[in-house]
Amino acid sequence: MKIQAFLQKVLLLELWQGMWVTLKNQFRPHITVEYPKETVEFPPRFRGVPRLRKDPQTGEELCVSCLLCEAICPTECISIVSEKRPDGKGKQLISFTINYERCCFCGLCVDPCPTKPITAIYMSHDYEFAGFDRDSYVTAREELVDGKPVKIYTS
Amino acid sequence: MISDNIIRNFIIPLTQVLVILGVASGAVAYMTLVERKILAFMQLRLSPRRVGPHGLLQPIADGIKLLLKEDITPDKADRILFTLAPIVTVIPAFTALAVIPFSGGGTFQIFGYQVTPWIADVNVGLVFLLAISSLGIYGIMLGGWASNSKYPMLGALRSAAQMVSYEVPFGFSIIGVMMLSGTASMVGIVEAQREAHVWYFLPQIFGLFVFFVSGVAETNRLPFDLPEAEAELVAGFHTEYTGMKFALYMLAEYTSMIVVASIVTTLFFGGWLRPFPNVEALGFLNLGLDRIHPVLPGYFWFLLKTFLVLFVYLWLRGTFPRYRYDQLMRLGWYWMIPLSIMNVIVTGGVVLLLRR
Repeated sequence: MKIQAFLQKVLLLELWQGMWVTLKNQFRPHITVEYPKETVEFPPRFRGVPRLRKDPQTGEELCVSCLLCEAICPTECISIVSEKRPDGKGKQLISFTINYERCCFCGLCVDPCPTKPITAIYMSHDYEFAGFDRDSYVTAREELVDGKPVKIYTS
Repeated sequence: MISDNIIRNFIIPLTQVLVILGVASGAVAYMTLVERKILAFMQLRLSPRRVGPHGLLQPIADGIKLLLKEDITPDKADRILFTLAPIVTVIPAFTALAVIPFSGGGTFQIFGYQVTPWIADVNVGLVFLLAISSLGIYGIMLGGWASNSKYPMLGALRSAAQMVSYEVPFGFSIIGVMMLSGTASMVGIVEAQREAHVWYFLPQIFGLFVFFVSGVAETNRLPFDLPEAEAELVAGFHTEYTGMKFALYMLAEYTSMIVVASIVTTLFFGGWLRPFPNVEALGFLNLGLDRIHPVLPGYFWFLLKTFLVLFVYLWLRGTFPRYRYDQLMRLGWYWMIPLSIMNVIVTGGVVLLLRR
């Protein structure tokens, strides 16, 4: 046993082991991607910025202006203005604003949303929202539905 | 008009120097790219590949960037020494290239003149190399001192201690090669390896080990880059340097890497010799299958071997964490120096017995 430990020390076996690991790993495929050109695929429950959506089948507004998301939001970044629907019951949105400056991506606004089976507000997979001024983070309803225009990177 | 004498004694050496300087600078530039690529592959990352196809123009972009950067001299720095220090570091690094034989097989004929593939074949080549490589430390000391700042000073002090400690095994480890070949001329050592029918890395395996480890420590490369340990000393001796002065330090570091790799190739791996240089059947490795036209000439083998040694450099960098300062000193004084002295004694004994 002692001889073994001695040999291990003299022949620098541990160092060779480490060298072998790095030598082997060189030939494995890379696990990073060339970011703006290609992006990684997200797991379905990834929480990007919260956005609104319409009913994918009928194209109607899903939000019923219940203000539950505004009430639960811990940073108070959602503000909803609505009015009574002129035809029949219910309310309709005038404006729906999320201040992305304050949003903490907690996803709490999605949980109480009453529209079933598709929630009106959802955590999207968007994450590229760097901007040059603070105003650009206050996002109005149209942009919440359609998303930010995507910049295509070349070369 | 220009006499034969001037051409032979002035123009030809000048051309040799310029060609070798140019090739070495280009090699240094692309060494940075190769280093980044190999490190990236070892860490399963992508390497730089934005500038040009597969990032091949990256060194040029880096060079332009460094040229255009603002050249700052700190207020409290010693202006003259601060400017002088990078120059003092670069000159010895390039000077060492003078005695390295890049190819063999006699001389080239260019316009009727004999041109050797080395700048000078000094008969004390190895001693010259040792002397020159010890000079590199002055630039680092000066730079650290002239910056008038804490971290460069600490880095320079460490560098001084480290390089002086590893100078000893560095010198001892090549004595074995000198004894085996009986000469200190670099060309003579390669020729001796051809006559000995074996490259010296086999009889001098401990010498090779000690020489390479001390070489890594001498050039301040990982895992012995204590003088510029980022985690502790910001950037060590070149913390205050910017722009071209910083580039000169980098140039010196990579040039000395290449120099050490070339010395390892020359001393231990047979320089420009092809594998098994005395086996006639393998002649096609030099001359091609028709045995007349040189296909893989001496400098090809030299460059191949040098690149492999440089790869080991990068491989070490990708594998080992930085040594602690006391561990570095203990390795130098407790292991490297006794090992190299033992190597000298045993080699001397064996050479003495064989000569009888």
